[in-house]
Amino acid sequence: MSSSSGMLTKFESKSSRAKGIAFHPKRPWILVSLHSSTIQLWDYRMGTLIDRFEEHDGPVRGVDFHKTQPLFVSGGDDYKIKVWSYVTRRCLFTLNGHLDYIRTVFFHHELPWIISASDDQTIRIWNWQNRSLLCTMTGHNHYAMCAQFHPKEDLVVSASLDQSVRVWDISGLRKKHSAPTSMSFEEQVARANNQTDMFGNTDAVVKFVLEGHDRGVNWVAFHPTMPLIVSAGDDRLVKLWRMSETKAWEVDTCRGHFQNANGCLFHPHQDLILSAGEDKTIRVWDLNKRTAVQTVKRENDRFWVIAAHPEINLFAAGHDNGVMVFKLERERPASTVYQNNLFYITKEKHVRMYDFQKNVESPTLLSLKKLGSPWTPPRTLSYNPAERSILVTSPADGGCYELINLPRDGSGAIEPTESKRGQGNSAIFVARNRFAVLNTATQTVDIKDLSNNTTRSFKPPVGTTDIYFGGTGNLLIITPTAVHLYDIQQKKSVGELAVNGVKYVVWSNDGLYAALLSKHNVTIVTKTLEQVSTLHETIRIKSACWDDAGILLYSTLNHVKYTLLNGDNGIVRTLDQTVYLVRVKGRNVYCLDRAAKPKILQIDPTEYRFKLALVKRNYEEMLHIIQTSSLVGQSIISYLQKKGYPEIALQFVQDPTTRFELAIECGNLEVAVEMAKQLDRPKLWQRLSAEALSHGNHQVVEMCYQKLKQFDKLSFLYLSTGDNAKLARMAKIAEHRGDFTSRFQNALYLGEVEDRIQMFKEIDLYPLAYLTAKSNGLEEECQSILEATGLTEDQLTIPKLGEGLTPPKPVVPTYKASWPTKATSQSFFEKALLGQMEGLSLENEPAAATNGFDDAADETAAAAGGLDDGDEDEDAAGWDMGEDIVPEVEEGFVNVESTDAGGAGSSEADLWARNSPLAVDHVAGGSFESAMQLLNRQVGAVSFEPLKPRFMEVYTASKTYLPASAGLPPLINYVRRNPEETDPRKVLPIIPRDLEYLATNDLQRGYDSMKANKLEDGLKIFKNILHTILVNAVGSESEVAEAKKLITSASEYAVAMSIELGRRKLGTNDVVAKDPAKLKRSLELSAYFTIPKIEVPHRQLALLNAMNLAMRSKNYNSALSFANRILANGGASKIVESAKKTKAQCERNPTDAVEVEFDQFAEFDICAASHTPIYAGAAFEVCAFDGAKYHSKYKGSVCVVCDVCEVGKHGSGLKLFA
Amino acid sequence: MDPYSAEGELINIFNFFHQGQYQEVVDFDTSSLSPENHLPARLLQLRAQIQLGHAEDVEADVQGEKEPALIAVGALAQQTLGKGESAVSTIEKLAAEHGDNGAIQVIGGTVLAAAGKFEDALALLSRQEGNLEAVALIVHIHLQQNRTDLALKEVNAARRWAQDNLLVNLAEAWVGLRQGGDKYQQSFYVFEELAQAPATSSVQSLVSQAVSELHLGRTEEAQAALDQASSKGDNEAAVVANQTVLDTISGRDAKLSLEKLGTVAPHHQLLTDIAEKEDLFNKAAAKYRSVAA
Repeated sequence: MSSSSGMLTKFESKSSRAKGIAFHPKRPWILVSLHSSTIQLWDYRMGTLIDRFEEHDGPVRGVDFHKTQPLFVSGGDDYKIKVWSYVTRRCLFTLNGHLDYIRTVFFHHELPWIISASDDQTIRIWNWQNRSLLCTMTGHNHYAMCAQFHPKEDLVVSASLDQSVRVWDISGLRKKHSAPTSMSFEEQVARANNQTDMFGNTDAVVKFVLEGHDRGVNWVAFHPTMPLIVSAGDDRLVKLWRMSETKAWEVDTCRGHFQNANGCLFHPHQDLILSAGEDKTIRVWDLNKRTAVQTVKRENDRFWVIAAHPEINLFAAGHDNGVMVFKLERERPASTVYQNNLFYITKEKHVRMYDFQKNVESPTLLSLKKLGSPWTPPRTLSYNPAERSILVTSPADGGCYELINLPRDGSGAIEPTESKRGQGNSAIFVARNRFAVLNTATQTVDIKDLSNNTTRSFKPPVGTTDIYFGGTGNLLIITPTAVHLYDIQQKKSVGELAVNGVKYVVWSNDGLYAALLSKHNVTIVTKTLEQVSTLHETIRIKSACWDDAGILLYSTLNHVKYTLLNGDNGIVRTLDQTVYLVRVKGRNVYCLDRAAKPKILQIDPTEYRFKLALVKRNYEEMLHIIQTSSLVGQSIISYLQKKGYPEIALQFVQDPTTRFELAIECGNLEVAVEMAKQLDRPKLWQRLSAEALSHGNHQVVEMCYQKLKQFDKLSFLYLSTGDNAKLARMAKIAEHRGDFTSRFQNALYLGEVEDRIQMFKEIDLYPLAYLTAKSNGLEEECQSILEATGLTEDQLTIPKLGEGLTPPKPVVPTYKASWPTKATSQSFFEKALLGQMEGLSLENEPAAATNGFDDAADETAAAAGGLDDGDEDEDAAGWDMGEDIVPEVEEGFVNVESTDAGGAGSSEADLWARNSPLAVDHVAGGSFESAMQLLNRQVGAVSFEPLKPRFMEVYTASKTYLPASAGLPPLINYVRRNPEETDPRKVLPIIPRDLEYLATNDLQRGYDSMKANKLEDGLKIFKNILHTILVNAVGSESEVAEAKKLITSASEYAVAMSIELGRRKLGTNDVVAKDPAKLKRSLELSAYFTIPKIEVPHRQLALLNAMNLAMRSKNYNSALSFANRILANGGASKIVESAKKTKAQCERNPTDAVEVEFDQFAEFDICAASHTPIYAGAAFEVCAFDGAKYHSKYKGSVCVVCDVCEVGKHGSGLKLFA
Repeated sequence: MDPYSAEGELINIFNFFHQGQYQEVVDFDTSSLSPENHLPARLLQLRAQIQLGHAEDVEADVQGEKEPALIAVGALAQQTLGKGESAVSTIEKLAAEHGDNGAIQVIGGTVLAAAGKFEDALALLSRQEGNLEAVALIVHIHLQQNRTDLALKEVNAARRWAQDNLLVNLAEAWVGLRQGGDKYQQSFYVFEELAQAPATSSVQSLVSQAVSELHLGRTEEAQAALDQASSKGDNEAAVVANQTVLDTISGRDAKLSLEKLGTVAPHHQLLTDIAEKEDLFNKAAAKYRSVAA
């Protein structure tokens, strides 16, 4: 029997031999008592050792948690029973009395009792509240190995090396201790009489002695509900016993262990027995059939003890080198979601459906009892809506799958009538009529049809463990170290991503993203398997599902969390039990619990919606969230700040210091000033001044300098802003302060020479005073100084004087207003928030600020426009919405406050014209006039009539008619060519017959008509191509080049065809031949027909035509040149053949009978209007759109090729891509 | 208890109506309904009759009725028959007297909105209290006025008290088709679910599905849905109008569809719109021709 199937190890510890184990009833804890005297407390979920208790002397064999109190009990080879508190982490007290090793200790489930079994052959019951020995049960005549209370009744079962199992009745003990006062005297006498036993142990009487083991019995346990007992002994047998009121008997024996069986127990929920032994195995037995179900073998470790969790599906076994915690089967219910339905398989192996919309569970659709083995639940479920069939896999029998049709309606647990099955580890639907089956043993993937026949088969990448749907035609193949995107058709891997240990794949609802779940990681990838983000969790990730908005919610063992595509994540709520998420809808998270019951969890999606709105720049939504929910707290503030949205964070903060920091960060000086005033700290003023300076807001700078008393900076500021009045005041202040340096500086700034001289005199610096006076030409002043100092001019040696310093004169009174060099990033968001508050106070209409995206946006544009001239700073660019708005402020501007909330808004069609500089978008928006204007400006279009069908085509394609409310006209919706775009400033209309369509359809038709010699049709087609391109849009610059090529080509064809048509209009060959003028013209036109740059095969046709005509008119020279050209081009043999013949003929007599204006050696173009040559160097005009050339005399006429543009009018060039 | 709520006995007929399954509404057996629900059911049936083009019968049917709601239906029938002015005046009178009546709000709102009196319609409808039909109408009117923001607000508000009602879902889907982006897909899901379930499928839902596919750029699927819709036979105008658009988008000649629309619904918005634009084109083009000549 395989050891791996089914059992799942959840935790393993390494230690010395583990002798006793106990699960905490609520927390994920396990107590392990070791042979080395230590007791360990583990968190098996996190895998961490919480605590160690080391007071016993020698091996500790028994431990037990109290059901409700924070207590546990232990018993060891030191004969001591210790009761511990795991809160205070101390031993509370010790119960002494046993005279030998203690084997097991257990708490009573309700009474304050402890039962212990000891090698002193006694079983004792203790009261841990008053710490007394209540009862000593004697009777076993060898070591008592195990003693347990019955979970409900007043019974005890014990096992002993004396080969017996005993059941004891302890109802007497309960009576005695639970209600001692209510006993009447008679009863007391009666009891007293009963207690005549000299050992004083009639409180517990032996009810049954079960004999059957022929060696010592190591363990015994009661069934939780049924009157059954299981025991395990050194005779390597596990025995099942049944008891009634009056007797007990052996039911059966489970044989299999080939060494001593040390532990056994009943599965708490299922009809199973588990046993563990020194043969290094854990065995699972069917309780009803007593057959082995499963065996788990360890290589080296003998098992000593086994325990079950009282509530959840977990077991633990102690062995030579530690403990393992495991479960017998996967608890993850197989499930799948299709649209609004969840299909899942219950514990009873019933297929059911849950309707998310109605929130109802269907009755059982199908029973899968026969699938796999009875004790192995199905692993996966895949649903095919087209066939209404399911594909179920089970790990039983080395992996198998079954394809079953679901009945139309659930009519109870019917067995499937018809099913197709096979071997495989994974099986999933990959198309409506195909499914893929992975066989890990042979490492093959088979693609099968619905009748279970293999249609193709391939070898997946090495080490494939699982497969998942990978989008249409693809599989996601999971190997231990990587995920492959595998193309089923091409049979090869088209993408690979190195991710370790992926276990599950969850696709987003729109199929664009997938989440790869491994034990501790979530990796989000695109459908082409490019990694978008990844995150790590310390505890196990169980499941995930996508929100409609593209947020991934995932569950760990104890949390529901979310992650955005960019990897930002957080906690949504805590979980008290493990669940598997299947669907998120609004505030509801649908999940399956471990009992495979659908549940609905309530969540608050505010936080992640807010973050998503932030990422998507959906300010309206953010505003809405802020106003309607209580979204505050440090986390969101730091998140916003970290993400570079300090201005939004500002909305949440009250603390002045933080507000100041944020305000500085987002350049909101107003708030910063306010906060700085409140806090009034030099450091803040310093920072504010620097920030304000960079904004050019010198008024704030001034205030800061004033606060900081930085006089020289202040003076310089006044100088540079030209505020002379204040500069003078600064001089006064300097004088007042007696600061001469400052006074001098101010005087210098002000150009006040007298003041400076006066100052020098005051401080007795007469030489400087004299020099100053002298250099400024103040002779009188010089004299007075000389007089004052008693010197004459001759006594002085004066250096050469320069010119006096004249300070600059202010030209503009800059000081009157700040000149912002940096846009204040007052965001749309702030505005809206402010606007909203006003709106609220005025009227009860919360729409005031946010009606119509464009209104508010335009206002921002206007505001931004007023403040700066496009010199956006990076800091603000992230937020400021002004920059990418097409500035149509005049018409679009609407004062936010005055907008009537009920009025009509502008339709999307209006937006198109605003959003795009392309004529076609204006056409789609119905704005024909502006479209015509644009075309006129771009390519000089003047005659629009030919464009009318195209205009109407584009216009008609742009709108759909959605039948909505009865009795009202249908709602008009606007079809976009960028359907993924939601920003109203970027949406653009759909364009029918785009470049690609033209190239694959119309152009080919044009070629066909050329080949078929249907030139009238061809001309129409090519003109139509030109018209269609003229009113069109392309997706990239490279496509613009393609479009240009197409225009040129279409134009050349149109010219070529019209030349030949012109020739044919001259008359039939006979008519032409009779009229020399016509004949000449005919020959010329046929020659010109070969000039336009059309495709080579088509050129050959033109050349053949020209050659034949020339031959017929005996123009052998011309014919020869045509023949040569045909031969040079090569190609179709028939034409080449005839050219060869012609050539041979003509070479004999290379002369022309008719003189024609066609110089085969000259370079020339053909005038599109007159069909005459324009020789190189001659003046010509062109059509700005199609490039057709004309003699200059045609300037101003309408181009005959496109029929739209004015010849010779040079526009700005056709714009097809914005 | 709200008779239209999931537990109410009118839920089916109500849903039939709003799913566009008018024949089912008319055929609905109302005899088993409790007495207080007879009138609402009859109203729905009369309105369905109007939708099916039997406005004259309805007008005759309610002739002389005193019940304000029935008078309102009469007005609705009149309007459909082209007697818009008298219908509006009837409604205005009713609105003044019975503005709190839910049926009056809905039917009156329809008549007023159809007559282009959006402000009046909204004023009347805004008196609703928990009337989803009124909400849907408000959403419709807002959308018609290109106020997606207000429509969305209305839907969100309704979503709060009427979690998963059909009309709320529909209204949200309508709004979604204006918002675009991911919302297209969401709207598609709503319509598709209705359209593809045999019990709820109708021309209206199929056309809606087709329209949403169209917006998603899935022309082939849209064509499939339209084919399905046209095989149902009734309400051809909606099918043909969108067929015209689809033809144009996929580069096919839309002339046939357009002609068919002309016979089916000569006053369809699409036709009037095209005529208007052709006129505009000629006028605008004329300016240039004079320059060129």
